[in-house]
Amino acid sequence: MPGRQSRRSVLATIAALPLTGALSACSGSDGAQRSGSTSSTGKTSSNSRTGRKTRVTFWSALRGSQEVVDAFNRGHDTIQVDFQQVPSGGQGGYAKLSNAARAGNAPDIATIEYPQVPGFAIDGVCRDITDLVGDSLRAKLLPQALGLTTFEKRVFSVPLDIEPMVMHYRTDLFDRYGLSVPRTWDDFEEAAATVRRKDGERRLVLFPTDGATQLAAFAWQAGAQWFDTAGGAWNVSLADAPTRRVSAYWQRLVDRDLVFMNAVESRQSDAQIGNGQVLTRLSGAWDAGAQMKARPGQKGRWALAPLPQWDAADPGVGTHGGSTFAITKDSRDPEAAMEFIEWQVTHPDALRARLSSGTSSQYPAAPGLVDVGREAFDRGYYDGQDIYTLFEQEARTIRDRWIWGPRMTATGKVMQDGFARASGGQGSILGAVREAQRGTMPDLKALGLSTTQRST
Amino acid sequence: MTSATPVSAAPDAPARPSPTVPAAAPAPTGRRSARRRELGACGVLMTPFFVLLVTVFLIPVGTAVYLSFFSDDQPGLGFGPERTVFAGLRNYSAVLTDPTFLGGLGIVALYCLVYIPLMVIGALALALLLDSGVVRLRGTAQLALFLPHAVPGIIAALIWLYLYTPGISPVIELLGKADITVDFLGVHTVLPSIVNIALWSNLGYNMVVFYAALQAVPREVIEAAVVDGAGPVRTALRVKAPLVRSSIVMVAMFTLIFALQLFTEPMLLSQSTPMINSRFSPSMYIYDAAFTRNNYGLAAAASVVLLLCTIALSYGVTRWTNRANAAEEDTR
Repeated sequence: MPGRQSRRSVLATIAALPLTGALSACSGSDGAQRSGSTSSTGKTSSNSRTGRKTRVTFWSALRGSQEVVDAFNRGHDTIQVDFQQVPSGGQGGYAKLSNAARAGNAPDIATIEYPQVPGFAIDGVCRDITDLVGDSLRAKLLPQALGLTTFEKRVFSVPLDIEPMVMHYRTDLFDRYGLSVPRTWDDFEEAAATVRRKDGERRLVLFPTDGATQLAAFAWQAGAQWFDTAGGAWNVSLADAPTRRVSAYWQRLVDRDLVFMNAVESRQSDAQIGNGQVLTRLSGAWDAGAQMKARPGQKGRWALAPLPQWDAADPGVGTHGGSTFAITKDSRDPEAAMEFIEWQVTHPDALRARLSSGTSSQYPAAPGLVDVGREAFDRGYYDGQDIYTLFEQEARTIRDRWIWGPRMTATGKVMQDGFARASGGQGSILGAVREAQRGTMPDLKALGLSTTQRST
Repeated sequence: MTSATPVSAAPDAPARPSPTVPAAAPAPTGRRSARRRELGACGVLMTPFFVLLVTVFLIPVGTAVYLSFFSDDQPGLGFGPERTVFAGLRNYSAVLTDPTFLGGLGIVALYCLVYIPLMVIGALALALLLDSGVVRLRGTAQLALFLPHAVPGIIAALIWLYLYTPGISPVIELLGKADITVDFLGVHTVLPSIVNIALWSNLGYNMVVFYAALQAVPREVIEAAVVDGAGPVRTALRVKAPLVRSSIVMVAMFTLIFALQLFTEPMLLSQSTPMINSRFSPSMYIYDAAFTRNNYGLAAAASVVLLLCTIALSYGVTRWTNRANAAEEDTR
């Protein structure tokens, strides 16, 4: 196995050399490879010699991970976890993981967000852990969450949190403009028009040009199914009827100039939130904690509400964000790794430790922990609002059947390129979704996967 | 290719006679051994070239071709065990039906159409100006024009990124004070912005090539033109420029080859504008396919397609200019 991997990576880097001049990438993976092979032999021998203590390496970009690892290490003697903070996936964390796996020295446990799980599973980075996930663990997890990491009845990673999309809104500004919390998307559009009319400098919300995952959550809520694995093939239909409906809705808001349209991961967006130019944020439950950390000065001005619905009689939501823990193919002690994972996703102390960092409001994928979260979360910022009860209620309505695709990062990137062009006046939101499908199909075909397309 | 002979001679090299043998041998064999010695020397002198050709060109290209045809597949959804199979033209059909790759080819084609004429005409015009004697401080001007070429491409792109980015660029600020708003990184301006960086970096270098070629133009030809009543402009355009024609072809060809591999400038600018995506040019597509999409078959196939395009275009340019040259010889 390592032989095949290394040959492939060396060949690939050589092949890429003359045309791209990717010298740094080449030497980088070469170096990693060498250190990988030496450290792997070193580790096995030391393991067999000492026998007792097992060390497990853990990579994560999640807030509060250090606190969780410290709590685990304090309470365990035979297993000790070496934690390494890595950049978040898009900032290089996933590239780091891929390179490490190619070089044969991936950590025992890696943190992977839901959309990237199938990709890493197909690439052979995630180990098939079906047999390690015991019935008791299985019973503790929300079925929709585990469903997102299970393919062909095989589990490839264990969900930590599941993040129903909710609406964060400015209570003070809602009062000032006489807005009530919108229950449906029609109400939401009306509220957007009111804000625009009453203050031309402000908007109700931002449509993020770097928000493929946000659009996915909107489409998911409307009943879309971008990917489907029925019949043993990847059926791709990014522009299905629900997605077309959602795209048309947001396009109308953009065209009427009722929303901002720029990147959310930007200084511009920070300023819009900081100056109170934007009245709501539509994002996962986790964002409540991120907001507390990023803008302590806005304490008491925000509250959370359910995401507006298309049909109030048939409520549903999609998720936005959320992470899972995978055991990599390079792990030498999968059982020990699983013990740490199980503790981390189901033990009350783990959630307490994470929330104690004061920057996390993750909604656990194990519903049994919700009460712990409710107790441990500092409600001061949200004026005493019991946000965990809201999350619990929303998590129950997460629509099942949603499946992420095999190259979600790339699919999202192509979509976001289209959004960015649409914000510059070229093309549309739906056009960007269609481009994403057209830019994804060749990728999947070249990987040798069976594919079909439903809507184009 | 005339180089075939020395290659086949190379294996003979160890068997060649010791230096004492020719002296003792009669005349006819002496000539033969001299010939063999020549071949041996050829072999020795050419070996480094072929070693390099094989290690840094043929082996990587061969690997890319191999990777584009063979793949570690998992059938169906892709979660099964991997096995290496012959993938046929699958990767090529995927690349050639990928709108993002074809879009990248289109962008590079547009870039070449804008950049190459500007570069060749600009460099030639500057060289002719310097050569005409109109310019004072010729040495200083030459140095100033050449200096940007000494700046590494990455640094150049960083400098321009600074000048292009709204909010930190002094240029945009100055223009703003004059009530001119320019977005150098907008939908329609990114390509000209990239052309500008490439021109800035390479204009001086090509100008020096042309200037050197102009030095070789015989003075009596120029004098004859002047005696015939040609002004400086006419002399430059009708006499000097045609005489450095082979340099023009060479510069155009090298510029074309480098332009097709467009990578550094857009890669850096993409950090700062969403208008340059991660698959902007074919080289960026290859990089993205290999290192962010982990799709080596696709990257290899795209590399081979780009290589074939480069070879075909270079061949086309050479053929076309040779034919044009021959036609001109005929008319003389």
